[in-house]
Amino acid sequence: MEMVFIAASIIIGLGALATGIGFGLLGGKLLESTARQPEMANQLQTKTFIMAGLLDAVPMIGVGIAMYLIFVVAG
Amino acid sequence: MSIKRSQITRLPLARWLAIEFSAIVILSLLWTIESRLAGCSAFVGGLIFVIPNAYFAHRMYRYQGARNARLMVGNMFRAESIKIALTAVFFAAVFILMEPVHVPALLFTFAVMVVMSAVLRFLIRPQPRR
Repeated sequence: MEMVFIAASIIIGLGALATGIGFGLLGGKLLESTARQPEMANQLQTKTFIMAGLLDAVPMIGVGIAMYLIFVVAG
Repeated sequence: MSIKRSQITRLPLARWLAIEFSAIVILSLLWTIESRLAGCSAFVGGLIFVIPNAYFAHRMYRYQGARNARLMVGNMFRAESIKIALTAVFFAAVFILMEPVHVPALLFTFAVMVVMSAVLRFLIRPQPRR
């Protein structure tokens, strides 16, 4: 039973870590490129928004599976 | 110091929501063929994705333009963390409160909506105001 909780915590933890790194890079690049070309800020925000959707797709599914493990399999 | 909100981009939030809700209804009807519980679970699975995602889109476009770049990025981080937290809370609430739940229907619809939303953002992009 404890292994289920460990598995869920690994899923959520690694998902959060990867999303954090990805969003850090994405936000950093957005700031950098906006400072370089301020007139492109609007288009860059749209591109960042689209990439953010792709970036958090897998961790979101991971969160769903982890909640299933915690509340249905272990509970 | 007060910061003025500038709406440079027109966000097609209503159109995204309409398409996503249509997809949820179609998937739910398909799952209803198996059982009524599966259809209901599929609908809930779709809603679990759509509600935090709509909040994310709304929050991310709160500030626009190069002057507000710092606020833009800060809001993006906050929106993402709140979105993941909301998803986890909604899943926990469904698994605790909704006693008979068809898990494959719930997770399948959720996964389909995640993929569909990313594709939808590519196809229907936010347009700049003219």
